[in-house]
Amino acid sequence: MRKVIIAITLFITSFGMAPGQGLFSPGSPKDDGKFAASTKQVNQFFRRFNAEESQDGMKRYYSGDALFRDRELRGKFISILFDNETSGISGELKTEFMRDVLSETQPQFLNFHEGEWFAEVVSVFQYKGRSENVTLFLKIQPEGLGYEWVIDKVVFQPFKDIFNKPIGTDKSFIHPLSHELGFMNLRKAFENSNSPESYTAKEYVPDYLTLFLYELKKGSIKFETISDVKFHFFQINNWYFELDQFNRPGFNTGWLIGDLVKLKPGDKETILEFIYDQK
Amino acid sequence: MKKYIPLFLLLFFASATITLAQTDNISPARKQAIDSLALEKVKDLSKYISIIGSKETQFSEANRVMDRAEELFAPDAEMGVSSLSRKEIAYYKVRNYFERLMALNYDKVNITWYDIHYISDLERQPDGRYVGVITVYQRFEGTSIESGLNYRDTTKKDITIYVEKKQTQIAGRTIEFWDVMLGDIRVTETAA
Repeated sequence: MRKVIIAITLFITSFGMAPGQGLFSPGSPKDDGKFAASTKQVNQFFRRFNAEESQDGMKRYYSGDALFRDRELRGKFISILFDNETSGISGELKTEFMRDVLSETQPQFLNFHEGEWFAEVVSVFQYKGRSENVTLFLKIQPEGLGYEWVIDKVVFQPFKDIFNKPIGTDKSFIHPLSHELGFMNLRKAFENSNSPESYTAKEYVPDYLTLFLYELKKGSIKFETISDVKFHFFQINNWYFELDQFNRPGFNTGWLIGDLVKLKPGDKETILEFIYDQK
Repeated sequence: MKKYIPLFLLLFFASATITLAQTDNISPARKQAIDSLALEKVKDLSKYISIIGSKETQFSEANRVMDRAEELFAPDAEMGVSSLSRKEIAYYKVRNYFERLMALNYDKVNITWYDIHYISDLERQPDGRYVGVITVYQRFEGTSIESGLNYRDTTKKDITIYVEKKQTQIAGRTIEFWDVMLGDIRVTETAA
């Protein structure tokens, strides 16, 4: 019994004597401030945007804390949340955005759970023997006792190539008295046309997500990997911004605003149509 | 396990004082206690990774440490690794990742961890468990004497933590406590 106890004690203490070094060990490399400055998580982007944490990120501020959502602190944070190296967002636009967001009377904050933001995930799938990019759009929704990310839309070029509804004189049609013939001409319509979508209503839009799920379930499309992730935000009134991850040397890194657009009426729909790329 | 007992107790008392007011929400005080426990587990993982990677570690000891390290993780946890030259994620089972780390062909390996970390908020999942992410940074240095090659990289590790309220029986009484398990880890080579 004593031998067993000694063996166990030696086993446990051996970890302490091992040559490796753990987190916060004496002699850990010191961050020169770059990692501290980096917006390391999307969560930190939210917290910085709203001024819900200390400048070093070590303390979470909650409602009731003196600096919770402090306007001055927010100003400092938001000014470092732009990509200043590649995106070319003008100084005037940033100032106008910050003026709206930091308004003394109606400040605007980001909210993780309240929609109007979504993820764009570029993934790679194996399809017909080739690696193909599939863009998935995911959004947060309440479910059960909490929340989950769900796939809202998908863009897959091979699917888009299949659906190409002709227009004008190129478009086949089912003539308007076909009903009198009991629609017997559907045979010709389906057999002689490689664009059966010609016979669909004007408002018809292919549902790529359903097709994608069908192919997945059939096993003809298989997940390989993820190659890129970004986020689109419409939560701030009259503004759109894109959140991208910048992995580069320096202090302006991590999750940063890579694109910023002031929205006029109708712009939101146009941008969404462009992002979702469903047609 | 023994070393986590004070933290479990802290979590238990933090829970007990607040349970009456909030049955399932995590208060700031409880969140802080959970963060400490989660960080303790991440610290252990970091120590285990350093030991597994070190060339001074005997094969048998490395295997024992891998067993201990695996115990920190929820079942099916994976490592998703990308580098500066390859943005696509390569997936490894946790054990497989450790084994590859152990088998790296260097004469000397030194794995150290930067003095910085970041802990996210906890979000509740549909099944009632909470999930969070802890970010740490690791420096890897590998030296090959024969080829004279030195390899060095810095990786960001985003570590999933699952937080769950559990029950145990102590002296016939049912005690509730919050437990933390590690989940998937995203490993990104940084340009820093």
